[in-house]
Amino acid sequence: MSDLHWTSATDLGDALRTRAVSPVDLLAAQLERIGRLDPTLNAFIRLDAEGARAAARTAEREIAAGHWRGPLHGVPIGIKDIIDVAGLPTTCHSRVRLDNVAETDAAVVAQLRTAGAVIVGKLSTHEFALGGPSFDLPFPPARNPWNPTHHPGGSSSGSGAGLAAGLFPLALGTDTGGSIRNPASACGIVGLKPTYGLVSRRGVFPLAYTLDHVGPMARTVADATLLLSIIRGRDPKDPGSVASTDDIVPDTLARGVRGLRVGYVRHFHETDMPADAEVAAALDTVAAALVAEGAELRTVTLPDLNAFSSVNRVLLQSEAWAIHAPWLRSRPQDYGQLARRRLLAGAFQTAEDYILAQRRRTTMIDAVDAVFREVDVLLTASAMDPPCRIDDEPTLSRTYPRQARTPFNVTGHPALAMMSGLSADGLPLSVQFVGRYFDEATVLRTAAAWERIGGWQARRPPAFA
Amino acid sequence: MSGTDEAAIEVLARAAGLDQAWAEFREDVLAAARSVAAQRPALALVEPAAEPWPPMRVAGKP
Repeated sequence: MSDLHWTSATDLGDALRTRAVSPVDLLAAQLERIGRLDPTLNAFIRLDAEGARAAARTAEREIAAGHWRGPLHGVPIGIKDIIDVAGLPTTCHSRVRLDNVAETDAAVVAQLRTAGAVIVGKLSTHEFALGGPSFDLPFPPARNPWNPTHHPGGSSSGSGAGLAAGLFPLALGTDTGGSIRNPASACGIVGLKPTYGLVSRRGVFPLAYTLDHVGPMARTVADATLLLSIIRGRDPKDPGSVASTDDIVPDTLARGVRGLRVGYVRHFHETDMPADAEVAAALDTVAAALVAEGAELRTVTLPDLNAFSSVNRVLLQSEAWAIHAPWLRSRPQDYGQLARRRLLAGAFQTAEDYILAQRRRTTMIDAVDAVFREVDVLLTASAMDPPCRIDDEPTLSRTYPRQARTPFNVTGHPALAMMSGLSADGLPLSVQFVGRYFDEATVLRTAAAWERIGGWQARRPPAFA
Repeated sequence: MSGTDEAAIEVLARAAGLDQAWAEFREDVLAAARSVAAQRPALALVEPAAEPWPPMRVAGKP
């Protein structure tokens, strides 16, 4: 196989199973690319070449002996550095946790190891998954492969940047206010925030208990589906975990959208937070393309996007304060300024604020569920703007909150972001698909249809092609 | 709380145990407090008795 670094995880899994590709050779190719490109991109906080080589050798021996573990056996994967990997530090990209070596694997990492995946290292994030991009942290921020002077989105920024640059075919991210879907949008890859509770968060450093999700990031919809199939599952040790029997059947992605009722949430990007013209035009293109494939398009109305953002902010700040208060009292100097400011805000939220936000959340869940009685999947904006320069603080501050991802952290519905086109400046534009609870299948089916029609997921950042 | 009332913010910060942050990162504490004050009106109750309660449920009877 040529261009191993651009080969999908699904195809790599087949090639590894049939021994057309060796796990050791595949890893060597990825490590060579990481060594050459990551000094520009900073996707990694900690590359674990030695551990990955050992895992690849084990995979090679097992496959050769006929002990094939499944479609991830021997496939490299990167892990966001708020997720525990036994024996490696979980720094959360922060001075506060520099020496925190994980003793055990997070539940999702244990599932990956059982599946035979090869963990290549720990990936950049925003500090504690909310303070970034920042230049006052112990590690530099990740860069966007489409233009390394630009931000790659966050907080799963190393996951997005590394996937877009071909440093690994799969990654894990986390999403509390959009942190899987933001880098998916900015880097032109696929990021899925599953239904709240579908994937265990045990061993993942929390940001906000009732908003946190772990999910798959990949370059293709099929790969995101594959990774989700490995990491989903009930975990009694995660209080938010739920059992779901709604597995994704193998032909789901090929079914297309004929007859699917697609609810287009225009007001998010037309009136609530008016989007950049290129973003809006690309969303209309997606909608028209789905209609041309046989979907039925309906314009639908949800609560105002700004109200969702307010609820998310209060819940996030209050819950994050409950986690960080001891450190903010005793060692505020160990935080970067962005994280410090954002986390300190929780000290000024009141019990009244938090309870009001929870009450609002209930009405929002009801409103979204009511719309899902009329449609099968939602089409919405993800980012309202293309990514900007990473050192342009005023534009970052202005554009970062301009997004439509937080509503589905508030409600817990599954939501996927992927590429909708390229801006005139050659930067990824994005679209978001949202489904009913535990109906990841319809979200992925719709995304797969757009992937085939649009063809954008096959595009590569020119400087890294 | 007035968003610009520095004395009030100091009282709240100290009550939250943020004496060190107040001494060393006063601008960050002020910015955080003011951002919360600016957001607060967005969540005001319309009808306290009629709006839904926050979620709480117990598991089914064994």
